[in-house]
Amino acid sequence: MAPHTPQRSERPGEAVPLLDVPTAHYTGGPDTAPHTSHARLMSHLVNILMGGIFHASILFLVAAGLQVVFGVQRIFNLACGSFYALGAYVGISAVQAFTSAGGPPALFILPLAIAGLAVGAVGVVIERGLLAFVYDRDETFQLLLTFALVLMMEDAIRMTWGTAPQSTSALYLVYGQVRFLGATIPVYNLIVIGASLAIALGIGWLLTRTAFGRIMRATADNREMAEALGVDMRRVYAKVFTLGTALGTLGGALVIPATAAMSEMGVELIVEAFAVVVIGGLGSMRGAFVGALVVGILRAVAIFIYPELEMLLIYLIVIGVLVLRPRGLFGGAAV
Amino acid sequence: MTARLVLGAALLAGLGVPLVAPAYHVLLMLPFMAYAVVLLGLNLLFGYTGLVSFGHALFIGIGAYTGAFLTAHTPVRALEVMLILAAVVGALVAAPVGALCVRYVKIYFGMLTLAFGMVFYTFVLKFYRFTGGDEGMPVQRPSLLGVAFEALPKTDYLTGPYYYYSLAVLVVATVVMWRIVRSPFGLCLRTIRDNPVKAEALGVGVKRYRWLAFLISAVYASVGGALLGPPIGNVDPTLAYWTHSGDLVFMTLLGGFTNFFGPLLGAFVFIFLQDSIKSVFPYWRLIFGAILAFIVIFAPGGLMGLVTRARPERPAPA
Amino acid sequence: MTTRRQFLKLTGGAAAATAGVRLGAAPAFAQTGGPVKIGILTIRAGIAAPVGAAGLRGTEWWAERVNKAGGILGRPVQLVVEEESTPKDTVERYRKLILQDKVEVVIGGISTGVTLALAPVAEDLGTPWLSWDGTTQKGVEETMPNPKWAFKSVDNEVEAIVGGILTAKYFKGVKTIAGINNDYSYGHDCWQSYQAVLKKYGMDVKPVIELFPKLGVTDFTSHIATIQQAKPDLLMTSFWSGDATILMKQATAVGLFKTMKGVFTTAGGVHDSLKKEFTPEGLLLGYNTMYFDDPSGSALLKQFVREYKAKYNEYPPYECDHAYFNAESYRAAVEKAARGGRQWPSKADVVKALEGIEVESLSGKRSWREDHVQMCNFYQGITTHKNAYDFVTISPLEVVSTKQAMKPAGAKLFNWINSWKI
Repeated sequence: MAPHTPQRSERPGEAVPLLDVPTAHYTGGPDTAPHTSHARLMSHLVNILMGGIFHASILFLVAAGLQVVFGVQRIFNLACGSFYALGAYVGISAVQAFTSAGGPPALFILPLAIAGLAVGAVGVVIERGLLAFVYDRDETFQLLLTFALVLMMEDAIRMTWGTAPQSTSALYLVYGQVRFLGATIPVYNLIVIGASLAIALGIGWLLTRTAFGRIMRATADNREMAEALGVDMRRVYAKVFTLGTALGTLGGALVIPATAAMSEMGVELIVEAFAVVVIGGLGSMRGAFVGALVVGILRAVAIFIYPELEMLLIYLIVIGVLVLRPRGLFGGAAV
Repeated sequence: MTARLVLGAALLAGLGVPLVAPAYHVLLMLPFMAYAVVLLGLNLLFGYTGLVSFGHALFIGIGAYTGAFLTAHTPVRALEVMLILAAVVGALVAAPVGALCVRYVKIYFGMLTLAFGMVFYTFVLKFYRFTGGDEGMPVQRPSLLGVAFEALPKTDYLTGPYYYYSLAVLVVATVVMWRIVRSPFGLCLRTIRDNPVKAEALGVGVKRYRWLAFLISAVYASVGGALLGPPIGNVDPTLAYWTHSGDLVFMTLLGGFTNFFGPLLGAFVFIFLQDSIKSVFPYWRLIFGAILAFIVIFAPGGLMGLVTRARPERPAPA
Repeated sequence: MTTRRQFLKLTGGAAAATAGVRLGAAPAFAQTGGPVKIGILTIRAGIAAPVGAAGLRGTEWWAERVNKAGGILGRPVQLVVEEESTPKDTVERYRKLILQDKVEVVIGGISTGVTLALAPVAEDLGTPWLSWDGTTQKGVEETMPNPKWAFKSVDNEVEAIVGGILTAKYFKGVKTIAGINNDYSYGHDCWQSYQAVLKKYGMDVKPVIELFPKLGVTDFTSHIATIQQAKPDLLMTSFWSGDATILMKQATAVGLFKTMKGVFTTAGGVHDSLKKEFTPEGLLLGYNTMYFDDPSGSALLKQFVREYKAKYNEYPPYECDHAYFNAESYRAAVEKAARGGRQWPSKADVVKALEGIEVESLSGKRSWREDHVQMCNFYQGITTHKNAYDFVTISPLEVVSTKQAMKPAGAKLFNWINSWKI
């Protein structure tokens, strides 16, 4: 059953000289692979850790949005993934507008971050327009309302941006790469990790050092008491939900140069963000931070050691945590 | 009295559908009846015990895969065996899962069930040699009460004998559930839902009762899942995905979880509404999301709530 | 419900009026019934939605042309579009198309999970069904060798086989390989088939790492780190959606393809997202069954690419031609079965006419094998930046026929590969 001769190509398998394949165009420096086994181990370790931490910093932003809202409002926001997707698409549109208006590529991160934050304003619309009606109901109804948001936003995104994957093209590589202990790391990844860290610190500062943060914590601890002390819950809820939304949209916008936007990315992410907050403890900001690191790094290690486990491992840890320590590592709220 | 009339009319309509309705609508009744069985069980948890499961698609998956596995790997073709075995496997899985889940309520219960559902989904996808992975597993045509109906084209088989078989299963499931919720056991569940502390003080083993309710609801969902498989002809992991669990809760809420028959109405409306919207508007999820939001905000009692609110309030049973 | 078909794209009425004038040969629409209803299944949501969109666009372009030319046997074409989603829901939509809408034929079906469920339903309902991109294979084994009504796409693993053949040609010195494929049967099958072909070509390759991320993952930094660590000479992937773009971007960002060759068997499905800035030259890239920039492409292809670009501001991927061929072969089969008459043939006669029929499709000649499997060409080649676009294209272009790279009817894949005489 000999293969037929194809129309235009030479018959494969005949002695064809190895084609002189043109060399690739790279923005990175020359490859200087470390030679000693110790150094190689080091570079692998850095590679794997950096991969895990990069993933963790994205997860953290989304999980932080989830936590802020849950901590104060006791709403588990299934739509946090949809906000993430929304931020990604809006970020792309902003960057495209910026570059087509002649903006310098190196500054693309400005319109990206601004758009990502600004679109967080849909949070206040959703909070005032939908969630505000169900605060006195069982939390199940609030959960279901956010499920309704998931359904609506996925289609709204598709109607606006279409189904083809969108990306910011090659802006990811604008900042080049650095070499660290023999590993090559895109600078943009470091920017995302740095931004995520800065936001974590910023939230910490907000919660502990500002009047609004104290109100948030007081509300999280005891809503009735806070209300009795004259806190305007409506304003607090509107602000908190908007903050939570903005964290998700910003996360989506920041990650997008490194990846591509697809309409279902939110539905995919929610499951991972869910794992993060369960492991860290619902409502806890420190929990989101640690949970994101745990999920991000464990995933990276699992891929390295036994790739078959990848997601299953995360779920098993989630169940283990829920069974043994349902409040998560840092959860304080009563069940 | 009115309720009985409505029920009688519904049953008569159910019997008459295959005689008068176009084949396609008769076929749509099959997933309706399968979901109705699932939701009867789901609502024992949701409406009567106050626990919302976001992972019940897990049991639909178990039921559907049990049936598929039997027809793919054993000579068994009897639907009776498939349903019973689905119930048994569902109960076996639900026993440990339920024991872990019912230690918690509200959002934590929902999340734990969601996590278990996703573990099952991932398992089915990963172990494709055993489960067929994303390609799923074919379900051969089951025999009904020992009759294989081999001479019938599949559509005639589904709109004829399979339809009436499903209807019979649904009627039995409804009657049994009706008995359950009216029994002292059902009363205990409602007490637990309304005031778990008081229930515990009265000597009701709250967790044990919740566990039993979970078990029963899982058995219902598994039987419903086994009924859902043959009309599709091929079962696959999307049956167990978390959004499918979300759809189940959606249907329950749409019909009204406070009413025994609410979920059935919800499943019916969900299926037929989805059918007509899908054909005319590609972004039907947007509309369904809006409907869900509307119900959550303005009509938490669902369609049944809207219907019964028009009637004068009756004193609640003690 | 009477206005149910509001979004049918082509009523054909207006087209008919103009067609009658322009084409003297085309008679007015036959009195036998109104428009011919063609059911279309397309994916609208999820990771394969762009594939569905391309298929639908190809179909619409075909329908417009056919209606302008006077329809099929004088009857205008009317598309009835339904959504392909989960197997359960798609089976329901399929039954609706046939039982409610009474379409003459159903065209579409992309995901194998769905088409495995659809095929038995098609056989039962006795209406021809032509699948864009789905097969009835379980893994690499055929489950329905002799269907009566179901017509299936090319076998899933052909692009990986072609990739293997061309790897043996272009990347001879390779000793170690890595694979990153989606964690579902398509990914696993492509990886297995690819390795089997390399082995058959006498390449003594060792797989050093195989990764199977879940479909829909949008971050591969950890996977890439693992691949870097394994240091293979070559990385093979069958990614076909946005994940191919992401993998390319993230891999280039850490200089992955500086140290290894790359084989992207299916990424041509998202070819215009593979921008030059992050897609190196020298990779093997597969466009599946249609290459929009084929220098020896037909006038039909060139017209299609031009109009597609004008309408959607994108360059068409291969799914357009799967869809175009399906619809066009149906038209040709109806006319063949009518034997020059105006009488609309029975469905069974159309199916008989479809068997073995060859038509001029966008990418060239395509045909249906006697066992209802699509026969066409696969286009792969080495990526180049020497073009007028902002994304890569391929040169040299290699064209491999399914006659060469797809297992014949009834053959077991790996036995067949082993039987090659090289």
